[in-house]
Amino acid sequence: MSLMPAGTDTAIIGIGEYRVGSMPMASIGLGSCVGLILHDRQTGIGALVHIMLPASQGKTDRPGKYADTAIDVLLKELSRSGSSPANLIAKIAGGSAMFKTFSGNLNIGERNVEVIRKLLKDNNIPLKGEDVGGCVGRTIFYYPKENGKLVIKKGDGKLSEL
Amino acid sequence: MKLTHVQIDALQELGNIGAAHAATTLSTMLSANISMSVPEIKMIDISEIHKYVGDEIAALVLFQVNGEVKHGGYLLLYIPKSSVIRLTNAMLGLTEMDRELDEMDESALLEVGNIMVSAFLDGTAELLNIIMLPSPPQLVIDMPHAAIESIIASQESEDINEVVLFRTALVSDAHNIQSSIFLFPNNPMLEDIIRRLEELLNPPI
Repeated sequence: MSLMPAGTDTAIIGIGEYRVGSMPMASIGLGSCVGLILHDRQTGIGALVHIMLPASQGKTDRPGKYADTAIDVLLKELSRSGSSPANLIAKIAGGSAMFKTFSGNLNIGERNVEVIRKLLKDNNIPLKGEDVGGCVGRTIFYYPKENGKLVIKKGDGKLSEL
Repeated sequence: MKLTHVQIDALQELGNIGAAHAATTLSTMLSANISMSVPEIKMIDISEIHKYVGDEIAALVLFQVNGEVKHGGYLLLYIPKSSVIRLTNAMLGLTEMDRELDEMDESALLEVGNIMVSAFLDGTAELLNIIMLPSPPQLVIDMPHAAIESIIASQESEDINEVVLFRTALVSDAHNIQSSIFLFPNNPMLEDIIRRLEELLNPPI
């Protein structure tokens, strides 16, 4: 059971997926992945993407999976639904390091966050809130119609809002 | 990668043997009967993992599989939070239910994970006739989805789109303890295991 009401109208955004619209959106259990929100303050429309890796390296089949292609596709889709880039703000959550001793890329969360910050800067989108890093899981709920409110539930049970 | 029915059946049998070994050790540790579900094997798109593992806090004891098999797969013992205290109480001889988890609980969880996962790998390795060893365990008490997506992301060079979920539930009715074993083989390990299973089914003449 989720603490927060993930109503039937809430769109659940899985790994590598994204949605654009005004309905509530959620991503369950972010670890090293990052939930990025681009919110249009004028129209109350926005987007949530569940990014897994920093770089697409030329792949185009899952734009939401990689930081670089994710930002491109969100900007394109938001502009199609009438958003002007000047009205957009960003919020991010996730990018933690759940493990310490396994082989493999354990700093992937940190790298995801770094690349996203840089890409937002390159696109002149202000980063208005972030809850990243640490070694804790996060479930996030995004409410485009409530001024882009982002509610974060952490693995230790704590709730916060950006 | 698509799995055929024969391959799924073979993997299921492999899991059955591993889980039965793990259940036996758990049964010995708790001095109680353990019932075991038929293993479930599914190919899942990464975007749908949240439908199988959620954000309810659980204790996860994680191992990387090494040895004579192509490494990179993970085995995971999953114990929902409600069962954690009951399990460690049963192991430590405690009765207080309403308490915070401490270092004793963490060592007990690592221990039970170690013993069960080693037994699982002994069972499967015996069938495949190869040595499979668990890495040192890592304990995470957090959201299962967060842990699993981090494992998948950490294999960046493989750029995974699909995972094989293998899970079996082990339940002790006497202690009201639930647990599951998950196996996440990566593609090289999965191909290696399937090749060995197929050799067993159709031995070269």
